[in-house]
Amino acid sequence: MRQLEPYCLTVGVARLELVRGTPSANPVEGRLAVGATPVRVRVIDGAIDCLARQGVAKTTLDDVARAAGCSRATVYRVFPGGKDAVLGAVVDTEVSRFFSALAVRMGAATDLEDVLVAGMTEAATGVAGHRVLRYLLEHEPEVVLSTLAFARMDEVLAVTCAFTTPFLGRWLDQAESKRVAEWAARIVLSYLLCPSDGVDLTDTPQVRRLVRLFVLPGIRALQVPHGVAAQVHTKPSSRSNPSTPTTKGEAS
Amino acid sequence: MEGPRQRILEATYACVARWGLSKTTVEDAAREAGLSRATVYRYFPGGRDELIDAVVSWQFLLFFVRLYEEVHGAGSLEEVLERGLVFARQSLLEHEVLQKMLEIEPEVLVPKLTVESNRTVGLIAGFLVPYLHEHGMAEGVEIHEAADFLARMILSYISSPGHWDLGDPEQVATLVRTELLAGVVGELGPAVS
Repeated sequence: MRQLEPYCLTVGVARLELVRGTPSANPVEGRLAVGATPVRVRVIDGAIDCLARQGVAKTTLDDVARAAGCSRATVYRVFPGGKDAVLGAVVDTEVSRFFSALAVRMGAATDLEDVLVAGMTEAATGVAGHRVLRYLLEHEPEVVLSTLAFARMDEVLAVTCAFTTPFLGRWLDQAESKRVAEWAARIVLSYLLCPSDGVDLTDTPQVRRLVRLFVLPGIRALQVPHGVAAQVHTKPSSRSNPSTPTTKGEAS
Repeated sequence: MEGPRQRILEATYACVARWGLSKTTVEDAAREAGLSRATVYRYFPGGRDELIDAVVSWQFLLFFVRLYEEVHGAGSLEEVLERGLVFARQSLLEHEVLQKMLEIEPEVLVPKLTVESNRTVGLIAGFLVPYLHEHGMAEGVEIHEAADFLARMILSYISSPGHWDLGDPEQVATLVRTELLAGVVGELGPAVS
């Protein structure tokens, strides 16, 4: 049933919600031996190495077993579902890592501009620098791209938005936070999928310029109909020279 | 009178609509067009792959020609964006062949569309520049950077609107005045509608 998309990002992202708070029922998986890395972790790490080297189609369970330093039978014992199950676990692991890193950066932000800049830069860096994604985009783009367009992109936007909305809640009300979270995710994905000559979202000063030029004014405009126009979150002066990212924190 | 190339494209499109992208062969296209395989190969030496890519490009272009016709008479930047978003979204939803392909073979179609769409960013940006010029820009905003930003956002909203309902004129007006234009051109008056 999942034939077409066993390793698709959307599924992984959506499943993240389910995985959270449901510890493994399998005692073999959960057992921690002193001084040894659990087999489950070795298999996932090995699979990531294989995927970064040879992609999804060419990676076999034998490759994964070899990279993990165990037998094929052991891989099957931990992942009875075989390759699909291993790939699913890889997606879960990497999506969790991605969102954890995002949470750390966004959680440390001190103002609205900062939380947007930190979140967008971290997201762009996390995706652009991911060795498996880089290999896939180069050699098997269909695996990644088909999960990032049309209705499936809407799902990715929704999950990312659900995760990042609370981090904006310190500065924006619930409805605004949701809108802005989706918008920011949209911007990052757009520049990642369609690289621009002039804009590199892994570069903090460039993200800050984009946020100051286009995002913060959009947020202020959103707030006008709700009668909160007076509560501008960053000084208007920060707009006058958007290319020098020096005024933040104490400026607002 | 349409040339053989156009006739082959139309025939291929008819086959794709019936059988999908992966199952359509040069043979099918030739039969549908009433031409020989050799003639098809003369126009598309790359065979099946080239033919399928050409059909996707052609349909993509057709979509944007219609979009252009819909918006090019608009009187203001806001009107261009509002009419464009509504029309484009509606056209995509009503495009039966597109919707069917997205359902049955997204892994074939989407990478091709991504390539086409990335090429289109520049076209849309170029179309918007005169409107931006006429409207005037917010302080510190460079016109080409704004046009590029708008173009990619438009493509994004058209294909994946997220929580926005592009069938609702009020929402579209809000979207245009906030996420699209607020930073680009500065203060805008309230929507007239």
